[in-house]
Amino acid sequence: MSVLSFAQWVQSTAFFTALRGSAYVYPSILSTHMIAIALFGGMILLVDVRLLGWAMRGYTISEMVNQLRPLKRIGFLLLITCGLLMAGCKAEEYYYNALFRTKMTLLVLVGVHALVFRRGVYGNTAALDAAPRIPAQAKLAASLSLVLWTSLVIAGRGIGYIEPPLDKIHARFFAAPAIASTAVPAERRF
Amino acid sequence: MLVYDPSTNPLNNNEWSFPLLEIIHIASFAVSVGTIAVVDLRLLGLGMRRQSSAQLLKDTAPWTLVSLAIVLMSGPLIFSSDPNMYLNNPGFRFKMEALLVAIVYNYTVHSKVARSNPSPMLGALVGGVSLALWVSVVFGGLFIAFT
Repeated sequence: MSVLSFAQWVQSTAFFTALRGSAYVYPSILSTHMIAIALFGGMILLVDVRLLGWAMRGYTISEMVNQLRPLKRIGFLLLITCGLLMAGCKAEEYYYNALFRTKMTLLVLVGVHALVFRRGVYGNTAALDAAPRIPAQAKLAASLSLVLWTSLVIAGRGIGYIEPPLDKIHARFFAAPAIASTAVPAERRF
Repeated sequence: MLVYDPSTNPLNNNEWSFPLLEIIHIASFAVSVGTIAVVDLRLLGLGMRRQSSAQLLKDTAPWTLVSLAIVLMSGPLIFSSDPNMYLNNPGFRFKMEALLVAIVYNYTVHSKVARSNPSPMLGALVGGVSLALWVSVVFGGLFIAFT
């Protein structure tokens, strides 16, 4: 099963068909997604500016990172849940959406960021507090985090500005059986 | 006759200006609501419990204020792109009412109680109301596109 046919199947399920058509549920999920962005984004910002030494200097890095960790996890879970629900509603359209793909790539980079800096920064806060100056690695982690999350917001908002011409894509698919029979993989034809 | 014509607004004549403004609006509201929420979560006893709510309010207040100022500048510019649509939009009207209450509440009851390091009961009440108000503002904003 190709990614495209999986996307088509997901959005055609009864659950996502109903969700897509609901007058109140879909906008509510979108609103909750935005609230999670605010909750999570605010906490990310406060941790990052502390790691950079710009603000919140009355708190140790350990206090900031460790006390906010459970709340950040809840916020992230809320963010991802709402995101998945919305992605399922328009899965095929998003398959063709360049900014959706950009956003997914950025999310992977967020995961890479967490893995790369876990040992040296986020799981190593006691050593950071003991150091005479904030180590460059911590400042790098914070800067990259700010850049990644800002880019995510930009790409996320941008998704709504791209509307792939699905009707044209479908028309071409049905009108051109000759192309369909070639060896070119289905996803790469358009 | 002096009539405002939105088609003369630069926001409606440049492909990039409107989305850019929206991104600024979203990023700054995330910072303002997010920093207020951290204080709310402390008042509710759900996080940052090693600091007092007064301390937390003092340290987050500049971030809240600056980002709220950016929200309140970008918002009216977005509004100017199509005033008649917004004024007749139930989502927008609800958002403005909720926003007015939320801002007044934030700089009166909320800051006064947070500074006084309240009892858990009072803190939870004030923090809960604050969260509910800001959640209402965000819902109102998103529903503009759906009402």
